[in-house]
Amino acid sequence: MKLFKSILTVISVFSLSFSAFAVDKSFPNDKVAMWGDFSGITLDVKLIGGAPYDPLYEVMIPIWEEKTGGKVSILSKKSHFELDKEIKQDIAAGNISYCVVSNHTSFATQYGDIYRDLNGIVPGDFLAEFVPLVLEHSTVDGRLVQLPQHSDVSNLWYIKSIYEDEDNKKRFKAEYGYDLAPPETLDQWKEQAIFWSDPPNFYGTQYVGKEEAITGRFYELVIAEGGALFDDEWRPTFNDEAGQRALQWFVDLYNAQAVPAGVLNYLWDETGLGFASGTVALNLDWGGWGAYFNSADSKIGGDVGLVRFPMGSGGKRGGWSGSHTYSILNGCPEENLEAAASLIWILTNHEAQMHEARGGKLPTMTRVWDDIAGEMNAEGNAFMSDLFSTFKASMAEDAFTPPLIPEWIPFSNIIFPELQAAIVGDKTVKEALDAAAKETDYLMQDAGYY
Amino acid sequence: MGRKIFRSPVMLIMPSILAIGFVIIIPLIFSFYTSFTSYKLTRPDSLFNFVGLRNYERLIDNAKFWYAFGRTILFLAVVLNLELLFGLGIALLINKITWGQRTLRTIMMFPMMFSPILVGFQWKYIFNDNIGLLNNFLYLFGYESAIPWLIDKYLAMGSIMVAEIWANTSIFAILLLAGLLGIPRDPIEAARVDGCNSWQVFKNITLPFLMPFVFIALTIRSLDVGRAYDIVHIMTGGGPAMRTELLWTMIARIGYKDANMGFANAMSYVSIILSIAFTYYFFTKLVAARRDLGQQ
Repeated sequence: MKLFKSILTVISVFSLSFSAFAVDKSFPNDKVAMWGDFSGITLDVKLIGGAPYDPLYEVMIPIWEEKTGGKVSILSKKSHFELDKEIKQDIAAGNISYCVVSNHTSFATQYGDIYRDLNGIVPGDFLAEFVPLVLEHSTVDGRLVQLPQHSDVSNLWYIKSIYEDEDNKKRFKAEYGYDLAPPETLDQWKEQAIFWSDPPNFYGTQYVGKEEAITGRFYELVIAEGGALFDDEWRPTFNDEAGQRALQWFVDLYNAQAVPAGVLNYLWDETGLGFASGTVALNLDWGGWGAYFNSADSKIGGDVGLVRFPMGSGGKRGGWSGSHTYSILNGCPEENLEAAASLIWILTNHEAQMHEARGGKLPTMTRVWDDIAGEMNAEGNAFMSDLFSTFKASMAEDAFTPPLIPEWIPFSNIIFPELQAAIVGDKTVKEALDAAAKETDYLMQDAGYY
Repeated sequence: MGRKIFRSPVMLIMPSILAIGFVIIIPLIFSFYTSFTSYKLTRPDSLFNFVGLRNYERLIDNAKFWYAFGRTILFLAVVLNLELLFGLGIALLINKITWGQRTLRTIMMFPMMFSPILVGFQWKYIFNDNIGLLNNFLYLFGYESAIPWLIDKYLAMGSIMVAEIWANTSIFAILLLAGLLGIPRDPIEAARVDGCNSWQVFKNITLPFLMPFVFIALTIRSLDVGRAYDIVHIMTGGGPAMRTELLWTMIARIGYKDANMGFANAMSYVSIILSIAFTYYFFTKLVAARRDLGQQ
């Protein structure tokens, strides 16, 4: 019941907090406007749904319908993993005549050439507003197949008060020999997580433990440790020493009971809710939770700190990143194309991104980063101001996408059970990574990489 | 010959033949064909890329598939037997009740009314190690460790079995209750007059009469449980480390997430062997049970 209550709280917090943010319907800060008279046009769309995403649609789609006379028919609204399956079935059935669909930079490469090139459909001066690197990540085979709505990258949230407690400082210094402060390195993160843990009441840290989520986490730790998933010829290299160090980090935390016992069954909601419940000291997560973590609905509201992703032994930080995007399908009728472009404009423009950023989501437009920071400073909101400066630095210096190849998800489905097998002790780290590398080798051979 | 086809009996059953053809035969032939191709959902042109027996050859060498196959047999065996025992117990108890039987029968069927997805979510949170009802209940009695119900090698599969049994035992109960209500009273009363105790009556009269119902219920449920997907998908997704991976969670992932439908269909056709084996076994038993009762 506690969890159901928490879920309801999250949904209501996301919904209420976003709907509370005002949108100026005149869109005064948008340099490019893509209004038009779309009376009589109904756009069929399929969207990613859920508490973090719906508030934007609830605000922007009615404005678009009111101002253009067009209608939006939402054929489907699901989590991205479910939407991914549906799109694949649509491709198989040849049912890809709807116009707009939610997409993601990590997923887009799988779907072949079902999307239109947005160059030429979306004005160049609007595209020029986006962070160039994010647009580059939205490009597949030289075609801009998606327009980014917001980006994600993770940083380390922590409970401030436990780090400020004098007794904790003394005990930690006596045990580890250095001053207690939020972790700068992966080793410090592990040590501090073990120091804080008092299972089953309190845990040092946690990680998302299954599916693409743990693959991505492993991937960024491999990079932080100075390794890589593949070599230049796309042969798997993640079973080298850097990869083993990365996986060992997960194993050590699990064995030390510094993470909840059920962590391998956790995805983003479980980790977010767990941190907000005040039972976890350190939580790696995206900025989209920020406003909720620090709100009165969270048990740690007003007691939340944030630092950059700690560095690995390779001198790099983790920075697995991607962007939620919108695409227009080739099957969208020509007469609806302008309306479709207009719709994705209103869902990604300055006003939309400011609206989302007020909740902590990371903008994809260069100008919005400055404007949101300015707005938060003017309001004296030090927490959100710090959030944006921290995430801005991560996006600029640390962020990297997963390999933008169609095999990313099949690869993830190969490696994540092996990562789990090592964590729960069914295999050694080396055995698990070697098994995953062998199977990945077949995958890449079959795909024709070598 | 041509005129024979258009005779009225043939014409009369033609709608049924066409319906079965479109709904069952054609999809079966299509999916069977794709199991010999490298068909990927996201590459419709791969539908014509015939690879012969390659998918089946890879399947034979695929240890993960055979582990999932074995796990599914274990899951079937445990779940079916426990559902049978609990269902029989519930049916016998309800059969004894003379007042409020209809209300109890309705209440008994409540779990069947929930969608398997909802059942999965419900049990996932009951078994959640951190904020789940079960662990928090155990803490009240001084237990100081979080039991990883959905992670542990044995407990994870056991937890899924509990959810499956909770949701579907009433199918057994209702079918067996129907059997109990249909048993003639004369042999039972005659046995009691002859001095048989309750256990002897149950063993020698009630149970033989019930056996056809038992095997029908087992056949229906073996087909259902053999296709178990929703509850497993929601509770563990087949993990961690494939500890709870059953055939259909594996097939769904390969078919839809990896979009590798040709290979997934090859797996499906091999998996059907399991359903055929269980169905054949239970039908053989059903025929034997009917023969014992002097029925055809």
